[in-house]
Amino acid sequence: MEDSKKSIGKGIDRIDGILKITGKANYATDYPAKNMAYAVLFKSTIAAGEIKKIDTSEAERYPGVLKVITHENAPKLNPEGGLRGGALLQSPQITFHGQHIGMVVAETFEQATAAAHLVKVEYTKKSEKIDFEKLAQTPEMPKGKELADLVRGAGKSALDTAEVKVEETYETPIEHHHPMEPHSTMAIWEGEKLTLYNGSQIINGAQSAAAATLNLKSEQVRIVSPFIGGGFGSKGGQWANLVLAAVAAKMVGRPVKLALTRQQMFNSVGLRQRNIQKLSIGATKEGKLLTLAHEIISHTAVDSEYIEPCGDCTKIMYAVPNSLISYRVVPMNLILPTYTRGPGKSTGSFALESAMDELAYKLNMDPIELRIKNEPEKDPSNGKPWSSRTTVKCLQEGAKAFGWNMRKLGPGTNKVGDDFIGYGVACGTYPARQRESSAIIKLKLKDRKVYATVEIAASDLGTGTHTILAQTAADGLSIPVEQISVKLGDSDLPPAAGSVGSVGASSFANAVNDACTKITHELLAKSGKQFFVRPTAAQLMISENTAEFETRSNSKAPADAEKFSSHSFNANFAEVRVNGITGMVKVTRFLAVTGAGKILNPKTARSQIIGGNVWGIGMALTEESVIDPRYGNFATRSFADYHVPSNLDIGNLDAMFVNEQDIIPNKMGVKGIGEVGIVGVAAAVANAVFNATGKRIRSLPITPDKLL
Amino acid sequence: MKPFKFISATSQEQAVTMLSKNAEAAYLGGGTNLLDLMKEHVALPNELIDIGNLKLKEIKATTGGYSLGALAKNTDTANHPLVRSNLPMLSKSILAGASAQIRNMATNGGNLLQRTRCSYFYDISMPCNKRVPGSGCAALEGFNRMHAIFGWSEHCVAVYPSDMAVALAALNATVKVQNSKAERTIAFRDFHLLPGNHPERDNSLTHGELITAIEIPKNNFSTHSAYVKVRDRNSYAFALISVAAGLHLSGNIIQSAGIAMGGVAHKPWRALKAEEFLKGKVATTANFTEAAEIEMAGAKALSHNKFKIEMGKRTLINALEMALKG
Repeated sequence: MEDSKKSIGKGIDRIDGILKITGKANYATDYPAKNMAYAVLFKSTIAAGEIKKIDTSEAERYPGVLKVITHENAPKLNPEGGLRGGALLQSPQITFHGQHIGMVVAETFEQATAAAHLVKVEYTKKSEKIDFEKLAQTPEMPKGKELADLVRGAGKSALDTAEVKVEETYETPIEHHHPMEPHSTMAIWEGEKLTLYNGSQIINGAQSAAAATLNLKSEQVRIVSPFIGGGFGSKGGQWANLVLAAVAAKMVGRPVKLALTRQQMFNSVGLRQRNIQKLSIGATKEGKLLTLAHEIISHTAVDSEYIEPCGDCTKIMYAVPNSLISYRVVPMNLILPTYTRGPGKSTGSFALESAMDELAYKLNMDPIELRIKNEPEKDPSNGKPWSSRTTVKCLQEGAKAFGWNMRKLGPGTNKVGDDFIGYGVACGTYPARQRESSAIIKLKLKDRKVYATVEIAASDLGTGTHTILAQTAADGLSIPVEQISVKLGDSDLPPAAGSVGSVGASSFANAVNDACTKITHELLAKSGKQFFVRPTAAQLMISENTAEFETRSNSKAPADAEKFSSHSFNANFAEVRVNGITGMVKVTRFLAVTGAGKILNPKTARSQIIGGNVWGIGMALTEESVIDPRYGNFATRSFADYHVPSNLDIGNLDAMFVNEQDIIPNKMGVKGIGEVGIVGVAAAVANAVFNATGKRIRSLPITPDKLL
Repeated sequence: MKPFKFISATSQEQAVTMLSKNAEAAYLGGGTNLLDLMKEHVALPNELIDIGNLKLKEIKATTGGYSLGALAKNTDTANHPLVRSNLPMLSKSILAGASAQIRNMATNGGNLLQRTRCSYFYDISMPCNKRVPGSGCAALEGFNRMHAIFGWSEHCVAVYPSDMAVALAALNATVKVQNSKAERTIAFRDFHLLPGNHPERDNSLTHGELITAIEIPKNNFSTHSAYVKVRDRNSYAFALISVAAGLHLSGNIIQSAGIAMGGVAHKPWRALKAEEFLKGKVATTANFTEAAEIEMAGAKALSHNKFKIEMGKRTLINALEMALKG
């Protein structure tokens, strides 16, 4: 097909846009059900210890209450079933402040909420681990093998002989995902079959985890999740709410809705761990890197380990003969950390790309030049060739578009009124992968027009999966997008990968594309004819007058993909204004230039990138969750205290994609953009703040008090 | 939230009588703070008396100055031509507060009655003398970055959150109040209280009293005033420090100054020492700096908010400079 006739690559509007803006797109708890009951969770007010006594009698007598469920009467569940974060009401043990310790099920949400306050709990406290600063003095080795010390060449020891050195420590706080739609679940039992309406980034993962935890077979559980109000990783793994809704529904014999409040979100669905990262760079006077060491201390939970891999960018970004990446962990009485947008890469790139900026400053060299000078020909971590790498292209095209030449090298020299203006740059990367997925295509002929339905248990976080799959099918079948409907977000559909780790678009689109190819072949075979010019699926349906036809196919990454190193890359450019009196920072302009292979829909892609940029700006300037070390609770426990950026914090954002064709990681050449959009953003902002003021802030967020 | 009765009052007298009869009742204005507190189980009224239908919405000039109806919305007040031209500092302070959506709902009377945003006050699993007298102050030794540097006591280190009230303090406003017997007016500096031994009391209203209007005397600040707010993000954040400053100038001599600070105390902090110092002085950076230093000399920081002393000084000077520029 000619490019101009293709739907892929066109920035068409979301096909589900009208449904959303008219309120017709149903999210988890929007589905109607008769005889609904409402569950409200109540939580531990200590960080470590045991429930000595729990008195639910008053709550049980409260009007409208159907059941109060605690570890004393909850059914036995399988804690190894694949849910994250525990808190399944299986024992009196408490491992973090805010752990679910029970739920009230009532006729109304309000009654359940009021009754939950009547439950009286007595605890036996144990000494808790919550003082990160103290605990980080004596961190432990991680359990995960993939986190063992990684040494290349002479490791860190090469630092001793380097002409120019940067040795600095960077800190990032706990952050939360806080999708617009808080986690919520509706559970309906029909006999031994359970339907869970629940925002899930991995439909089949949610299905198997729920089934295993509830001691059911997978086929007994159906997950319905066509629309998700964001997830950012927090709906990738599933949390207790998914099965506790089912437990409540079973115990009261009615459908149950369980929705977390915004405040409950802080300690119910994972978080981005706190990290201390030491970067040591040794270089020649000419700016050639000799050694690069990235030593990381991260917190995790006391009873389970999750560490976001902060050293991942450092592994591959620069050509350097000697390197060390090490992880140490600090188990704490907090909910288990989890995948959080750009896991490891966003926080790790803050440290790495700040340190590179510090090195450039020491060398009196443009930070873009320094990066280009250290561009690796092959993946330094494994010696594999790049399938493609666009770092230099992103830097060069971005510098031109952003007006990088207006940057003043000397910090604090660009002043307008009370404001200091600064420019910063930082790079990022994220792996490009395809995961196994299946899809069904159903074709129907009506009034000489062919209509298609795409079925796949993919998920749409709000990023546009429905739309890109319709575009993929439109091109694969040669019919207009308007004649395609996309069914996803249902475990009854063919199994698929998840919208996680930037694998969604490549896995889903390749599965649909393969199914289109297959159905075209099958229609051709069915016709029994030979064609000089191969007809499209739509032409075959019409010429053969086939009323209905369908096929199913399964897709995997190409066999050779593993022989190459495949990643998306970006370069981020920030312009900030820092008020010299108050220390308030505004990002006046931001440009992200991304090389992510084939961009299926530039409009939804741009939205996804600038969304990542906004969170990155929040990471740089506003977001921080503070724990009170005496209690283990969050002292920042609402949106009044936990600051996500507001519209006024965000200036002019722009996203550009560099032209890139790379069919090594997958046939369609899709590399994925979900994660990379946040990677490098915080460093670009922090570097711009340095350029503006001469102050290097190594501890995020950069709040006004740090710039006084 | 606990269940409550909801009644719509049709007259001031009815509202005051009904509230006076029930110690657990509360007035409902815009609801932008009370409803949050109820959802958090911090405020537990068993009866809400909706005063939204009362005719207390007028903004007008009076013989001595200006009167702002207690139920006029914050947005309408900030954008009212009388306020914009005669009380620009007030207009700016309102627009620096909350978000557009909240300002559209919030009333002037309700703005004065906002409760602290101290997160320990909101978290019912934490000790808080303001919420449960005698339970202790978790913020005193806890995370107190946002907390007071003036006038705090060991029982409470919370700050009062309003921006509007900071300008009202600088403008020497009075609060008109009706109770079941009579009307009375309260000078702004006496309206909000320091925590002392009774942090559960935010202000000097007695149960049943209804704010009917806020009155602002005529002043000579309108051409030389400013409201400067420093916060963690550019909108929808409470002040780390805010300063309302008005200068009455004759040539370059300061006849009088009206200065108040937000984000520093349990009440809008009238910078009386700075005002006193500036009286009769030449309007120069040196004098502004000395005034700020004199005022901030009385500040006493907690473990996480030492920066507020330097930030307070800078913001005071900056606000005075901006007021001078007009």
